[in-house]
Amino acid sequence: MNPVTTPFMFPVLAVENAATAVATVVSPAMGMLHNGLLVGAILFTLGLVGILTRRNMIVMFLSAELMLQGVSVSLVSWSRFHGDWGGQMLVIFVLTVAACEAAVALVFVLQAFSRTGRLDANAWQSLREAVLPQTIDQALPPIDSAATQWPTLTPAGVEPVRDEEALLEREHV
Amino acid sequence: MTLPVSLSPLLAVNATLLADVGQVAAQPRWLMAIAVAAAAVSLWLLLPKGLENRRARPIGVVLGSIALACFALAGRRLGSLGEEAVFLLVAGVAVVSATATIVTRSPVYAAIWFAMTLAGVSGVLLVLDAQFLGVATIVVYAGAILVMFLFVLMLAQPSGLASYDRVSSEPMLAAIAGAVLVGLLTVSIGRLSAPAALEGDQSVAQTEAEEAAAAPTAVAAPDQLRDDHVARLGGELFGRHLVAVEAAGVLLFVALVGAIAVVTRGEAAALAEGRPTR
Repeated sequence: MNPVTTPFMFPVLAVENAATAVATVVSPAMGMLHNGLLVGAILFTLGLVGILTRRNMIVMFLSAELMLQGVSVSLVSWSRFHGDWGGQMLVIFVLTVAACEAAVALVFVLQAFSRTGRLDANAWQSLREAVLPQTIDQALPPIDSAATQWPTLTPAGVEPVRDEEALLEREHV
Repeated sequence: MTLPVSLSPLLAVNATLLADVGQVAAQPRWLMAIAVAAAAVSLWLLLPKGLENRRARPIGVVLGSIALACFALAGRRLGSLGEEAVFLLVAGVAVVSATATIVTRSPVYAAIWFAMTLAGVSGVLLVLDAQFLGVATIVVYAGAILVMFLFVLMLAQPSGLASYDRVSSEPMLAAIAGAVLVGLLTVSIGRLSAPAALEGDQSVAQTEAEEAAAAPTAVAAPDQLRDDHVARLGGELFGRHLVAVEAAGVLLFVALVGAIAVVTRGEAAALAEGRPTR
């Protein structure tokens, strides 16, 4: 009996077929380009899904950074494939713009948080012109300020005894 | 071992059927379709949906591993086995921790998984012969931007999980949108480097090769593979892109001033309205 026809050989056969079918004449440089672009596409898509689904503004922002990472990987793959510096130069400027964007956007996130008391993007669903009717997709639960616990630092050591007179004296006039 | 005569045609049919299935599995296109579908379902299962389902997470993890394996199998082979193994390792770290970044419920863990993603991405950049960018990604992102994120989380995140961290909006639609996007991208990437397309363009490649052979100065080793990689990168950056560097400096300065202005005006407005300030 021909051993190839045994059903148990099927997975091995399939994997071998796949390997030979995929590993045909592509040059290593082209293969590296393909794989780099694939990784970039997957990272970009994961970031997109994160932005679309998550409601915490900081996690949404992390997802945006994930998309930037995907684009960076794609650009560097192209740069390597063509053997020039264009892609890498673009990635350097992507890094710069990402740093600026992070600074400004985190300030906005903090301002939004201090206005609503939560990091929820849905807290801004009623943002509109004064003349337009309000649309509420999803009613937000009220903030239970008694139950909200802010993180605290554990007290360490003993509080030193303050010398009140020394506090009143000025070292420099 | 001899087979009964009545069984042998059945086995033959079975074998051809199996061979057909093997052929289907051998097509990268089908591998990609399986990978994309499995990835979408696993993302949908893994994303936080409010109600805790104990069975959803393991299934999602298993489907995600299947998708990863299919993607890895559909990737093109590289030059050497070692290069291939290193690329698979760093790319796997990047993709797995990127998934964990968007599905984990706690934002602090999301930030830490994002740091792991950065480590994977910088590994990919190193494999792609971009040493400076690999190191710069770690220094700038993991060292500066991520610490800024953690500071903001420290200021704005109460202990325990907030309600908006436990639910996500429209996970199924988002997973479908992601599957469509990654499917389109992989199709176009695969077409770019498909073996058939290369065979079709063989005449073009041949003429190009002849031209390259005719002009030997054109096929010098690319700059990026030389020893003084960083020096050459700096030369390119401060030579050809000098104006862009200056513009980037101005951009950084404006972002700094703008961030401080927004903070101080926000504090002033909060004081005027009697809201508590931080």
